[in-house]
Amino acid sequence: MNHFALVGARTISEAAEAASTTVANAMTTSPDAMGRNGTSVVKAGGIDLLDLLKENLLAPVKVVSLKEVPGLDAVAEEEGGGLRIGSMVSLADLADHPVLRQRYPALAGAVRGSASPQIRNVATLGGNLLQRPRCWYFRAAEYHCLRKGGGHCFAISGENQYHAIFNNMACAIVHPSTAATALVGLGATVEIVNAKGAVRQVLLEDFFMPPDRDIQRENDLKPQEILTAIRLPPLPASTRMAHLKQGEKDSFDWPLADVFVLLDLSPDGICKCAAIILGAAAPVPHRAKTAEAALTGRRIDENAARETAHAALDGATPLAKNAYKLPLFETLVRRAILEAGARR
Amino acid sequence: MAADGTTRTEKFPSGILSVGLGEVERQVPLDEPPPLPPNAELAVIGKPAPRQDGRAKVTGATRFTVDTNLPGMLHGRILRATLPHAEIRAIDISAAARHPGVRTVLVLARPGDSATAVVRYFGAPVAAVAAVSMAAAEEALRLIRVDYKSLPFVVDMDKAREPAAPLVHDAASAPVGHPSGFPAPHGLPLNGNVRGPATDSRGDVAQGFAQADTVVEGEYRTQVQTHCCLEPHAIVADWRADGLTVHISTQFTAGVRHELAEAFGLPLNRVRVIVDGMGGGFGSKSTLGDYGRIAVGLSRQAHAPVCIILDRQEEQMTAGNRPGTWQRLRIGARRDGSLTAISLLSYGTAGVALGAGVGFVAQGLYDCPNFESAQHDVFINAGPGCAMRAPGNTPGAWGMEQAIDELAERLAIDPLALRDRIDSSPVRREERRIGAERIGWRRRHAPGADSGSVKRGIGVAQSYWMANVQINSSCEVRVMRDGAVEVLSSVQDIGTGTGTVMAQVVAEVLGLRPEEITVRIGDTDFPAGPPSYGSRATASITPPARTAAWRVLQLLFREAAFALNAASADLVAREGRILVRDQPARSMSFGEAASRLRTDRISAVASRSEDYGGYLRSMGDAALAKQYLGGVQFAEVAVDTETGIVRVERVVAVQDCGRPINPLQTESQVHGGILMGLSYALFEDRILDQLTGRMVNPNLEQYKLAGPCETPAIEVMLLENYQGNSATDAYGIAEPANIATAPAIGNAVYNAIGVRLRTLPMTPAVILAALGKIPSRS
Amino acid sequence: MIDATSALMGQAEAAESGGPPVAGPAPVPITLKINGITRTLQVEPRMTLAEVLRGLLGLTGTKIACNRGACSACTVWLDGVAVCSCMMLAIEVGARNVTTIEGLASGSQLHPVQAAFIEHDALQCGFCTPGLVMSCAALLEHTPDPTPGDVQAAISGHFCRCGTYPHVVSATLAAAKARKA
Repeated sequence: MNHFALVGARTISEAAEAASTTVANAMTTSPDAMGRNGTSVVKAGGIDLLDLLKENLLAPVKVVSLKEVPGLDAVAEEEGGGLRIGSMVSLADLADHPVLRQRYPALAGAVRGSASPQIRNVATLGGNLLQRPRCWYFRAAEYHCLRKGGGHCFAISGENQYHAIFNNMACAIVHPSTAATALVGLGATVEIVNAKGAVRQVLLEDFFMPPDRDIQRENDLKPQEILTAIRLPPLPASTRMAHLKQGEKDSFDWPLADVFVLLDLSPDGICKCAAIILGAAAPVPHRAKTAEAALTGRRIDENAARETAHAALDGATPLAKNAYKLPLFETLVRRAILEAGARR
Repeated sequence: MAADGTTRTEKFPSGILSVGLGEVERQVPLDEPPPLPPNAELAVIGKPAPRQDGRAKVTGATRFTVDTNLPGMLHGRILRATLPHAEIRAIDISAAARHPGVRTVLVLARPGDSATAVVRYFGAPVAAVAAVSMAAAEEALRLIRVDYKSLPFVVDMDKAREPAAPLVHDAASAPVGHPSGFPAPHGLPLNGNVRGPATDSRGDVAQGFAQADTVVEGEYRTQVQTHCCLEPHAIVADWRADGLTVHISTQFTAGVRHELAEAFGLPLNRVRVIVDGMGGGFGSKSTLGDYGRIAVGLSRQAHAPVCIILDRQEEQMTAGNRPGTWQRLRIGARRDGSLTAISLLSYGTAGVALGAGVGFVAQGLYDCPNFESAQHDVFINAGPGCAMRAPGNTPGAWGMEQAIDELAERLAIDPLALRDRIDSSPVRREERRIGAERIGWRRRHAPGADSGSVKRGIGVAQSYWMANVQINSSCEVRVMRDGAVEVLSSVQDIGTGTGTVMAQVVAEVLGLRPEEITVRIGDTDFPAGPPSYGSRATASITPPARTAAWRVLQLLFREAAFALNAASADLVAREGRILVRDQPARSMSFGEAASRLRTDRISAVASRSEDYGGYLRSMGDAALAKQYLGGVQFAEVAVDTETGIVRVERVVAVQDCGRPINPLQTESQVHGGILMGLSYALFEDRILDQLTGRMVNPNLEQYKLAGPCETPAIEVMLLENYQGNSATDAYGIAEPANIATAPAIGNAVYNAIGVRLRTLPMTPAVILAALGKIPSRS
Repeated sequence: MIDATSALMGQAEAAESGGPPVAGPAPVPITLKINGITRTLQVEPRMTLAEVLRGLLGLTGTKIACNRGACSACTVWLDGVAVCSCMMLAIEVGARNVTTIEGLASGSQLHPVQAAFIEHDALQCGFCTPGLVMSCAALLEHTPDPTPGDVQAAISGHFCRCGTYPHVVSATLAAAKARKA
């Protein structure tokens, strides 16, 4: 890693002030263009940042640590029944949190299944949502790809077995956060604070950035903004959820596919409303709108699940090496619907 | 060995214990010990013993090469090519040399020098620096300016075979071959990027096929696999006026010493190679290597010790791999299963190196009078392959053992019954019998018969490995006047437990416990020992260890005999005592006997002698034993046909290694072979980007390796198979344990889903495609 | 280029403007409590805990195998919690207790997991062993009576090429029993 100074921010505004830009910006801008002071970026748990630094993908002059900023690592129940998760809550603490496990069990499961115990003990939910993609061209400094400010996507006609099956015409990354799949389905919002203390709440689904909006970043975090919390809305008692993921292996692997399903069921088992989100499918967590519509008004049974699952792949444009994701997703969507539908 | 007065006749136990032991007569040199009885009659050999280095390893006290820190040590880093094929037009090291932390720079790719100016794979060494810190070394690398002229390249084996393919090597740069084969013998023709064929034949294959009632034919592919040793390649080279000392993570200290002496023009006694803890080799650390030569060159230039540790990316891209292969097998058989002809055609790629054969499984595993093979190496612009755990035979078994399975089905003969008919090995026959019982072979249903989306299956496969012996293997045993005992050799323990089996063998002879023996290995100052490759270390070093212990015991007996008023020939060593045979009252402790030594230390050195029954073939320092090693593995899998995920639920492995010395460690070895084979079958793949020729997964995250959650329930059964060939009759097992696993899983997958996978790895993508589940959407 | 001046200037900047403390890029003094012993070291902010343990403190029991948090060979405890030390900046350890493999045994008395690893041959080359021992010992602190699945989950981030997983699981289950007895 290059040399950097560590800034021990003591407040949110100190952190926002000290960070000159986002990691995404820092990776697409040459050091000279940033001026004589160079870039300074925010560090949460540091799991993604250290990887990027070790791969020489960015070389900030300063790293602004959130470790000492108070108030970012609490999980609090909100009035009205929602949950407010501080962005610095570790994945391990989140997965074990009794309220999360009780009220949002599929999210707890998605988090518990991420990475490894060691990583979960350090990685934060905020860092997890903001992490950069795992695309192996993106992660190698030798490839100056579109997302890093270059002129070419190497995955589209290259080794794309782990890449996107939707919205992959310009850049074929999949969004790397498994927690995001569930959070988008749950209608989570993110709370963002800037150096002046202004707070904005953004629906997580709108916060993620598809390539056609901006190919160089996965989210709408702006320079000198700090992601401070993730808020989950309360869920009616009639909702049921499931999250399923499948890696190539079960030990510490990125998912080939993951699926989150949230059903709002009438007392006699009819789906009033469905959220079906596909992770590791597209540059942002992918909402299977056709499938959601297809399931609405139907009783949850094998047929409904099967047909909905088929509809979930509507619009898929697989690449040369990732068409296997289609039957895989179809299976996971079907199973997740049945699992959610069977929950009491 | 002829009875010529230097030997005596002895009777050895012979045969497979569970089948029934007989006796065989052998001529044993007069200065070697009497035969060992079967393990049940022994005190220490054949019993589980904790590793002699276990405490050091579990407390983190063991020093590996990467932990070595010498005073004034510099850190070396290698600049590597960022193109798969290029000519170095110019290289400017001046800025790097001026870096205040840099002590010396080496240019490896010299512009204008036809021998070095062309780099042929992404990651090939170009230059190297030695600096006061790792960080300074890395900064210095970035200051080196290289002017590459990009050349046409090819990284796909099939494309490399085409007539118009870019040439990887020219006549001068192409490697010339090596006798150990796989196959790559010297003198084979090179046409474009294709070298070979290496051919073998017996009988008349055309006639054999004509006689066949049925012929099965299939094409199989295996991927390039990387070793992924936990400890990367590492060396600390300390060039001094009075000699060169090298700490290196190596599988062969004595061999590296020879390489260094030759490469740098030094006498053998001025070169010392040392390794203590060694974090895995699996074939990739058998030689000095480019990185080793570079470290010594830097040390010589800088007049300081230089440490080079490859990072994980260098490991993955440049430190060796198991070549990928394509093979076509044709097998002709009569209706009763007897084989009439086998024809094998293979192409494999070891990148810019040689050695991509598919071994000897097709020609050696089963009885077949008519055989032909033609194996080829194909060069591509990729990192050099090298030996990896059962080179050749592991990919070879993938093809052959599935082809035999297919033949069995075609003939409507049970796969085990077919093998009973065509496999003349008594060891494997017994292994099949035992394993079939344990796995419950009778539960096996017709292929694809399970209803439901998760389909289970059982498969079997066999392994075939010639036992290697390193004749040039020596061992010393010392007894001190205070009763301390040491066993010494330059042999290294790469995790296989070599040190512990040596301690057990010595302890057995001296009537002591293994933990009372101090093991001193991994240093060429000690008698030169064997390499830890080819599964030969145990077979090579334990006989001399026993013999040396026995010789030193005779010296001890002389002193004790005098004190006990008995003849040496009447003494035995047992349970820490020296006693008169059958008269336990006339005895003294081992320590007391040692205290009577007239000098502070007595010692005996022994070298590996010829196998008592003779060798199959001697080749200089090494030999092929008449003993071969078998191994039969059964796998039970569950395939989720909706996700393509294969779970290996259970593996039953029945293996043999002559006389097992430490069944606990041997079981660990077999676990290791099975898990590596499972990982090869399902996950691992060195993936090259076709556009840039660069490995896209040079890490431990996207190069997928079987982890704890992929581990099946493994049952290991070890046969005792005595041959009376040496003072211990013990052999290795590392490679046999790795050969049969992938085809056993492949055959199990076929049994589960009724579709045969012929390509590795069997990822969900491959399984789903084979099941016809991938829709053709545009 | 690093020099002491820029570090001082960094500190001066912070002091002047009342901004947050800035450490480095030149080495700064930090205090670490390692295996019960407090040490003060000069550490660059970019140095990982693994590098500091191995390079500055001579505690080479903690191994670096992938340097990316993908293999868990570098596992140590921070206040009893298993982390990858190669992905932890030394400067951010702060007051947390660092326990390395060297600190697990009590003098000559091995931790039950260490003793069980030897007895069940849960090690071969030994390079991944310290990390695995730390993970399994941490598991038993939080889950004194684990199932085989619990052990597998606890070690799911570990990679061992020699194939010790089956014996690691049996050793850890045996150690759990031994602790209860």
